[in-house]
Amino acid sequence: MKKILLNRDFILFSIILIILIAVGFANPLFITPKSISDVLTDTSILIILALSQMIVILIRAIDLSVASNLALSGMLISLLSTVHPELPVYYFIALSCVIGTTLGVLNGISIAILKVPFIVTTLGTLSIYRGLIYFVSDGKQVYSNEFSEDFLALIHFKFLSLSFLFWLAVVVFIIIYVLLNHTRFGRNLYSLGGNPDAAKYIGVNENKYIIMAYSLSGFFAGLCGYLWVARYSVASTQIAIGFELTVISACVVGGISVMGGVGTVLGCVLGALLIGLIRNALPAVDISQFWQLAISGAIILLAIIINTKTEQRKEKTIMVEN
Amino acid sequence: MKLELKNISKNFHGVKALQNVDFQLQENSIHALLGENGAGKSTLVKILCGVYQPDSGIINLNNKQQSIPDPSASLSLGISAIHQESVMFDELSVTENVFIGNHITKSNGLVDWGLMQDKTNQLLKDLEANIEPNEKIKDLSIAQRHIVQISRSLIHDADIVIMDEPTASLSQKEINELYTIIRNLKKQNKSIIFISHKLDEVIEVCDEFTVLRDGELIKSDTIQNTNKDQLITYMAGREVNQIFPKNNVTIENEIFEVRNLFKKTQFKDINFNLRKKEILGFYGLVGSGRTEIMKSIFGITKLDEGEILFKDQKILIRKPSDAIDQGIVYLSEERQQLGMTGLMSVKDNINMAVMDRNSNFYVMNKLKEIKNSSAMQEKLNIKVSYWSQLTQSLSGGNQQKTVIAKWLSTKPEVLILDEPTKGIDVRSKSAVHEFMGELVEEGMSIMMISSELPEILGMCDRVVVMYKGLIKDILNVKEASSEQIVKLASGES
Repeated sequence: MKKILLNRDFILFSIILIILIAVGFANPLFITPKSISDVLTDTSILIILALSQMIVILIRAIDLSVASNLALSGMLISLLSTVHPELPVYYFIALSCVIGTTLGVLNGISIAILKVPFIVTTLGTLSIYRGLIYFVSDGKQVYSNEFSEDFLALIHFKFLSLSFLFWLAVVVFIIIYVLLNHTRFGRNLYSLGGNPDAAKYIGVNENKYIIMAYSLSGFFAGLCGYLWVARYSVASTQIAIGFELTVISACVVGGISVMGGVGTVLGCVLGALLIGLIRNALPAVDISQFWQLAISGAIILLAIIINTKTEQRKEKTIMVEN
Repeated sequence: MKLELKNISKNFHGVKALQNVDFQLQENSIHALLGENGAGKSTLVKILCGVYQPDSGIINLNNKQQSIPDPSASLSLGISAIHQESVMFDELSVTENVFIGNHITKSNGLVDWGLMQDKTNQLLKDLEANIEPNEKIKDLSIAQRHIVQISRSLIHDADIVIMDEPTASLSQKEINELYTIIRNLKKQNKSIIFISHKLDEVIEVCDEFTVLRDGELIKSDTIQNTNKDQLITYMAGREVNQIFPKNNVTIENEIFEVRNLFKKTQFKDINFNLRKKEILGFYGLVGSGRTEIMKSIFGITKLDEGEILFKDQKILIRKPSDAIDQGIVYLSEERQQLGMTGLMSVKDNINMAVMDRNSNFYVMNKLKEIKNSSAMQEKLNIKVSYWSQLTQSLSGGNQQKTVIAKWLSTKPEVLILDEPTKGIDVRSKSAVHEFMGELVEEGMSIMMISSELPEILGMCDRVVVMYKGLIKDILNVKEASSEQIVKLASGES
């Protein structure tokens, strides 16, 4: 029992519940099914990106370029859709994923083959990919009336009164869960992050895994590129700007150690949910707009402190009796 | 013949680590690989593991010539090493560590956790080990970790198992259990290469031996044809009592004392004193609490209870700089992580702890710094190619000397050395010993943690023997026998 209570995921889940109840007292409208379903929809893209970022963080790296990758993939397919509105939406989704994956592979090659440190590589591509959006779009926006109906329809599809975005996040959660816990690839990611030297001894090819991890991160950034422009019906140079930091905080809140090799898929999702909840709850309880950013930062920090304190690594015990 | 190495040579930047070494491992045999630190044992093991490639020579496995280009090749040839330093995954479960890199998958490509769990359970039961497959490695004792590593090599179907000092940090009871496992492995037709510094245990467990010294093969024979004294002579190449410079200084009055030191889960009832010009040794198994006590005395970690007296005055040490101001310094075991900054020059490292003394109103006095560092470099004979050379490019011995120079710059009266000669070559080692003798003559008092009994017996005046956070006894080295010390340290008496 004690083990369950001290489990990070359980603590995180409790924190989410407490916030939900507290906000519910202040504003009962916030905890209606409709409102909760809106929060879930609103958090879905964050969940997907946090899960793919987790893969990268597990091997002691970080992908700072996800938001720029998302924006560039989103812009490219938006531009294409204005020229070829007759193409089916699946075509655009697939294309967006391909573009995202390509950008991810470029990150991976730079890190694994050219040996440019991951922080430098992705900081660089963060600017490069964002800069390319200006280049391809001439700095112009694609407005909602320029998209075809088909392009935007999928996002409004609902099942059991929950949105397409939510269900997609569930599917991605299951895929990543199986990938990390039930495939050799996933387990080797954990071993590579946990003890890179020892992983080499058992024959894990580090470069291959770096490139694979960044490709996956790119793939999901590309997927979210479509989701983002379709959901907000707009593609501009500014979409998702700075979103990579939200994604990384979701991972950190979720207990994915930036030291690598530690973290659960469920924890990652809960981390994203907590951040999504705070972002939606603060306006609902009438907190001044000027304060929202600082308060949400403080709550995130507090959650991390509670979470790590309760599960702090025990000191090595020398004496049994004391 | 299971494994045969012929004429193996390996150079590192002109240093001959191995020279034309032959090594033969019979089938079904436990073979001791012996030699002092730096004799070439670990180089040989790393060649077998595919970490290093030999410059010349042949490897025959089952009478067939093989090359071992990388670690996974070594594994697939059936060679598995149980390393002294951890190659385990602390955050992963026992089951996963056993199967790491070798996960069993179901027909649909997914990992078969159930089957792996069962197999691990069976394996641990066969080894008569009391370990839960679900436990994380970080929660296991060192002995249990060894057993997990052995299980791993069994899963890989290794028929050559290399054990690098497997008993180094185990208690006597755990050692006996490990011996049983090793003998069982032999019954299962495995060949074992056994590296150990404990010669009694080598004679008890092994069938054959090979001694290396300075990268050369000295002797290879069956254990029956030798004895302990002979082995020592092979290894040292000289009489044992000549290794350590005995210092004949008159020990003066008590200078430092601790009373009833206590830290929860770490140590308790710690009482000892140190006299001027004395070398006080601390012996015990790795993880017996020696380092933890010294870290508390130096102010790195907090004591729960107890008092420290220096020159008959009670002193309060809250942080390392308090200790340094009093004239007490601590030289860490992990010199690369904690003792020096590899990307700084030797000069800057030497001056790091005395910046306040070498500055006027917060502005560094370069002349004072250069004077201090060149004096220290000369005194300790630190070899640098140019004055701004980075510390990380020095040899292990010179790095160690740099760290010592850094602390000596503070002009301490009490010097705490934590494993000062761990992992450095024989020549630098004796230089460190000689230097310790000189320091004591100059009036310094030294506390030295060491896991090498000969070093304790050769250098110290008294030895504090520890076991699981308690002081078992404080012995006068001249009157103590090594058997007595080892027994105390393994908690037997």
